[in-house]
Amino acid sequence: MPLDNLVCGLLETAINQLQQLDSTAVYKRKVLDGIVIAVMLKELNKPLYFVISKQHIDVLARYEGQTDCFIRLNISALKELHNNHQLTALIKSERLEVEGDIQLAQKFAQLLMAMEIDWEELLSSKVGDVLAHKLCYHVKQCRQGLSQQQQKIEQQCAEFISEELRLAPGPLQVAYFCEQVSELEKQCALLETRMTQCLCKIEQYGIAND
Amino acid sequence: MNKAQQNTTHFGFKTVQEDKKAELVAGVFHSVATKYDVMNDVLSLGIHRVWKRFTIDCSGIRKGQKALDLAGGTGDLTAKFSRIVGPTGQVVLADINDSMLKVGRSKLRDMGIVGNVDYIQANAEELPFPDNFFDIVTIAFGLRNVTDKDKALASIYRVLKPGGRLLVLEFSKPIYKPLSKFYDFYSFNVLPKLGKLIANDSESYRYLAESIRMHPNQETLKEMMANVGFEDTEYFNLSAGIVALHRGYKY
Repeated sequence: MPLDNLVCGLLETAINQLQQLDSTAVYKRKVLDGIVIAVMLKELNKPLYFVISKQHIDVLARYEGQTDCFIRLNISALKELHNNHQLTALIKSERLEVEGDIQLAQKFAQLLMAMEIDWEELLSSKVGDVLAHKLCYHVKQCRQGLSQQQQKIEQQCAEFISEELRLAPGPLQVAYFCEQVSELEKQCALLETRMTQCLCKIEQYGIAND
Repeated sequence: MNKAQQNTTHFGFKTVQEDKKAELVAGVFHSVATKYDVMNDVLSLGIHRVWKRFTIDCSGIRKGQKALDLAGGTGDLTAKFSRIVGPTGQVVLADINDSMLKVGRSKLRDMGIVGNVDYIQANAEELPFPDNFFDIVTIAFGLRNVTDKDKALASIYRVLKPGGRLLVLEFSKPIYKPLSKFYDFYSFNVLPKLGKLIANDSESYRYLAESIRMHPNQETLKEMMANVGFEDTEYFNLSAGIVALHRGYKY
C-alpha cells in the first residue's frame, strides 16, 4: 500500500513542478477548481484520483467520495489524448471510456497534456541567453536528425525485405497482382452472365419442346 | 511518597511531575519549530511524506467534510485536507504549541491555503469543540507528547460525529529484531547529532528518541482506543513498524 503512496507522491510532485513552469496552468486550474477526476489505466486496473484546486493538483490512491468524472483508458491512448479531435475516435475504438462530464475530461487532458513550457526562456535565466539558445537549437537539430534517421532506417528496412530478401512483394508487384485479381473478377462476372443467359435459353427450348 | 509517584509521568526516559510535562514538551517544540519541516525530511529521509499520504488515503475524507488536524504542527495534513474538502468543508488545525501553530499558519498562507482553515491553540485532553462535530480527527506524531493519553482519546471520541473516524499516526515498535537494533543505534547516536548539526539542538532530538521508546506499542494503543469507545479499531504497520497508523470508528 505505501508503494502506491510513493508513486502518487512522485507523480504529484512531478505534475505540480511542471504546472509551476506553465504560465497558463493557473487559468486552466481555475476552471477545474474543486473537481475530482479518477483516471484508471486498463492495464493496471488501479484508479488514481486527481483533486484539482487553484493552487495544486493532489493525486490520491484512494478516495471514498463521489468523483465528477471517471476516465478509463489504455496506455496506448495516453499519447493521443492531447489531441481534442481524436477523443471521439478513441471512444469509438473503446480505448477510452468516460463516465460523467466529457467536457471535464477534455479540459483535464488539456491541463496535463498541453502544457506550454518555454524551456529556452527558463534555461536562459540559469545559463544566459546565448548558451540557452545554442542548447535549444542543438536539441532541436538533434531531434530533427533523429526523426530523419528513423525515416531512413524504416525505408531501408522495407527495401531490404522486399528487394534483397524478397520476403515481401514490392508496391508494383502488389498493384499488378491486384489488377490481375480484378481482371479475373470481371471475367468471372462475364462468365456468370453468359451462363445465366445459356440457362435461360435452355429453359425456353425445353418449354418449346414440350 | 506514594502520592508523589501517582502524579508523575515520563518525559523521555526521565520521570517528571505530571503538571510539568506539558511545559517541558512545549520547550522542545518552541526550540525546533522553525526547523521542524527540514528536520522531518532529513531524519526520515523524506519517508514521513509517504506515511502522511497513507494516512490521508485511510481517512476517507471527501468534499464538504469537517476535519480536525490535532497536534497538526506545521500543517502538512491540513494543507491536503483543505484542498480536498473544498470551500464547503472546514479544517481545523489545532496544536498546543503556539510557535508551531504560527509556523504552520504562515506556511499554509504562503501556499495560498486560506478560507476553510481555522487555527486553534488547544490541549488534546480538553478539546474546545461541541460534541459530535468532526467527521475526521487525525493526530500525527502528537499523541506521544500528550500527558494523559486516555483523556485525550476520550476527548477526541466526544468531538467525533457518529460514523466519524480517528487516525493516529505515531512511532511504534519495529516488528523485526535486526531492524530494531539498527533503529536504536540510529535514534540514540545519529539522530541527536543531526539535530545538533541542523537545528543546533541535540536535547530536543534526544527527547524525540526517548519518547518514542516510552510510547505504547501497537496492540496497547489499539486497546486504549477500544477502551474509550472506538470500534473496529485496527492498525497498519508502516516501514516495518517504525511507524503505525491506528484507525478507529465512532458508531
